[in-house]
Amino acid sequence: MKRVEVRLSITAVAPLLDLIKSVADELRVNLAVPLALSDADAELASVWNEDLLASQRDDCDRLFSLFDQEFFSEGVVAFDRDNAEPVLRACAALRLRFRATHLAKVPDDTIEALEASSTMGDLAETVQKAFACFLFLDELQKIILKYLDPMAVEDDE
Amino acid sequence: MIVAVHRPHSSPSSRGVAETAAAPQWRVVFLNDAVTRMSYAVMVLRKLFGFDEATATKHMLEAHEQGRSIVWVGLRESAEAYVFSLQQWHLSATLESDEKS
Repeated sequence: MKRVEVRLSITAVAPLLDLIKSVADELRVNLAVPLALSDADAELASVWNEDLLASQRDDCDRLFSLFDQEFFSEGVVAFDRDNAEPVLRACAALRLRFRATHLAKVPDDTIEALEASSTMGDLAETVQKAFACFLFLDELQKIILKYLDPMAVEDDE
Repeated sequence: MIVAVHRPHSSPSSRGVAETAAAPQWRVVFLNDAVTRMSYAVMVLRKLFGFDEATATKHMLEAHEQGRSIVWVGLRESAEAYVFSLQQWHLSATLESDEKS
């Protein structure tokens, strides 16, 4: 994968970063997807939990490394073969965590309708920013997936 | 850190007879979630299991519609590595003994 530079709106994205960072901090000690192993595999789950948390932390760190001086001066973030997959995973983890926490009270069909329209609808003000983060992370995923496989994202639309 | 080693896809139908008879078999069950983008799930299934687009999409849709899809059957050690890798990509998955059916 060649290096891909994407220009983002600093005024739209920068205000979201603090909230995304706070959710990423939660992911330092909580798995985005709880392990679904049986009770008989409790020992295995315990070992995996630490390894998965470490992986999750690394991925989130890679995501935040996108938002460096170049982003805050030019609005540019860059993906390449080294960071594309970790950032993709971080976006997935953060979206799951937003859905399970800040957006937990919003019904699935409401989320789907708002995602389709990319609007805030009648969302309470307190969850609008979380939903904006949820949408932004989805957009980042779409950008990366499109470059990994140009046909992939069209299937979602 | 545990890292799943990518192996050529081995579908249940391609298992060797000797392997089937000799050792207990385990299923890797991919579980649905309502958040993850479909194209992301398909990409991960292709990457981890070596599925072609159609097979990965079939499993994704099966999980989406029925809540779960058996994506691999084989020896316990490999099944564990696949479940770990799916979790690493934030796709929920579990292990089941193939003797349950």
